[in-house]
Amino acid sequence: MLRYGVRRLLGLIPVLLAAVILTFLANQAVPGDPITGLLSDQSGDAALEARLRAAYGLDRPLWQQFVDYILGVLQGDFGLSFRFAQMPVIDIIGEGLLISPVLALSALAIAFPLGMLLGTIAAIRQNSWVDTSIILVLVAGISVPNFALASFLVYIFALQLDWVPVAGWGSFSQAIIPITLLVVPTSAYIARLNRTYMLEVLRTDYIRTARAKGLREKIVIWRHAVRNTLVPLLTTVGIILGGLLSGTFVVETIFNIPGLGSLAIQAIFARDYPVTMAIVLLFTVFYAGINLIVDLLYSAIDPRIRLGDRAA
Amino acid sequence: MRQVPVIGPIRRGLQSDFALRFRRSRNAMIGSVLVSIVLVVAIFAPWLAPYDYEQINMLAIWRPPGGEHLLGTDALGRDVFSRILIGARVSLTVAGSVLAITLTIGVTLGMIAGYFGGWAETIIMRTVDIIFAFPELILAILVAAVLGTGTTTVIIALSLVWWPGIARLTRSLVLSLREEMFVDAAIASGTRSWRILLRHLLPNIASPIIVRASVGVGFIIMAEATLSFLGIGVQEPTPTWGGMIRDGLAALRTDPHLALFTSLALAITIIGFNLLGDGLRDLLDPKVRDR
Repeated sequence: MLRYGVRRLLGLIPVLLAAVILTFLANQAVPGDPITGLLSDQSGDAALEARLRAAYGLDRPLWQQFVDYILGVLQGDFGLSFRFAQMPVIDIIGEGLLISPVLALSALAIAFPLGMLLGTIAAIRQNSWVDTSIILVLVAGISVPNFALASFLVYIFALQLDWVPVAGWGSFSQAIIPITLLVVPTSAYIARLNRTYMLEVLRTDYIRTARAKGLREKIVIWRHAVRNTLVPLLTTVGIILGGLLSGTFVVETIFNIPGLGSLAIQAIFARDYPVTMAIVLLFTVFYAGINLIVDLLYSAIDPRIRLGDRAA
Repeated sequence: MRQVPVIGPIRRGLQSDFALRFRRSRNAMIGSVLVSIVLVVAIFAPWLAPYDYEQINMLAIWRPPGGEHLLGTDALGRDVFSRILIGARVSLTVAGSVLAITLTIGVTLGMIAGYFGGWAETIIMRTVDIIFAFPELILAILVAAVLGTGTTTVIIALSLVWWPGIARLTRSLVLSLREEMFVDAAIASGTRSWRILLRHLLPNIASPIIVRASVGVGFIIMAEATLSFLGIGVQEPTPTWGGMIRDGLAALRTDPHLALFTSLALAITIIGFNLLGDGLRDLLDPKVRDR
């Protein structure tokens, strides 16, 4: 178990290195000279230009810039912003740092049990009208993009019924629609998977045994069956979180939530590439970290899986 | 288990068997009807649209639905109905291009990795792993940020995040088929590798790949709309559903028709493709077929 954990941790290094190289190269590949953009009015001032170039490290050779970038990133220094002269990127993204993960994780915390419940109910009533209508709702939940759903929800609940504020961030009522938007597709996705797994589990011998020895159906389902669908469900948490993180980009933009997602989008339009790249890098690290935790949990929960001992 | 009653000749052709099961699947039928409507709209949009989608009329901005303009007009007085119709065309063009590119690249690289192995496999699968390490949409946004906005950018960005899945699936399918007797027989009789790949392996892996592709169309349309919504996709004056919803959301309080009707069109389209994709998967995937 420990050996497996260490190996997985080491396996992250090439991925993160690739992410850093990609973001660095992306920074280089973008069109235009950032210093020219910063100078704007004082474009004739050669001394100022030289000073800015030195401050941004752009006067050094490319390989040294790369080494400096990696060393900086390791210490939480993502360089300077192109939009706000000489302002460290970390100061810009610092305030919103936790908002996106908090949004994503709270949506996950609601969506997971909800999805399991819906999927289980659909599976127990397979092919009945309950099952059919749940499936239709789930397909709709997965299909309708969050910003399309947002226009319906905001129109009905914020503008027509006036139950919640239209946008903003800070109060509980302002978080209801944004989190709902993240919960709907996520719980639908989990429910669909859980329905499939549950149908498989309900056909197994140990469920037949549980029923044969006279256990009540409630206990058979919620204690024996659900526990066995949890393991395959857990492996998909990584994918789910990837979707949720992407979802925060849209949801934060719609509702003016000052998280990393909306910051990244603003930075793209302001051509503030160091900020964009830093956020992409942070999201990738967060995503990779969660995937690692899920893999470790997976092998811890299911004793049949001895990932550490498997010949690599 | 649903038993199909055997009436008449037992040996029924694969085609008619498929058609029969397809017609029995309610969701697949609903999906195919919705998809057909969207396809017809996309193909004939320029002739179906009552107005020129680019025609600006500052004297008729934000007209409500009804009257001269079926679904009203937008901030520049352009006909919303016409723009939604053309939007279908834009959306499906991007999705079709992405699908064609990712299938070509993904199947080719996946077959090479699975059949030949060695360093080619290592390079291809490591690349796949690295791309998988990024959340899909975030990588697409990164690519769009570097390349600048536009239709080509969207197609490149979405192709980049979508081919690894196809490649991984293709590789695993080829890996399991490579040990089969018919491949050994082909090798033994001196068939060239590319011929084995094209003639013997490709037809055998086609159906799961078609399923994967059809399930993916809905995702690609959604991703394209999301990029357009964020403003880093297809640009004005070309109408995109994502862009129209963004414009409509800003005016939701006073003129909700733009956001609501466009959202409806987008939702129906993706629901249609997902129902069809799910239906095809249920029919073509032997693991879930007989449930």
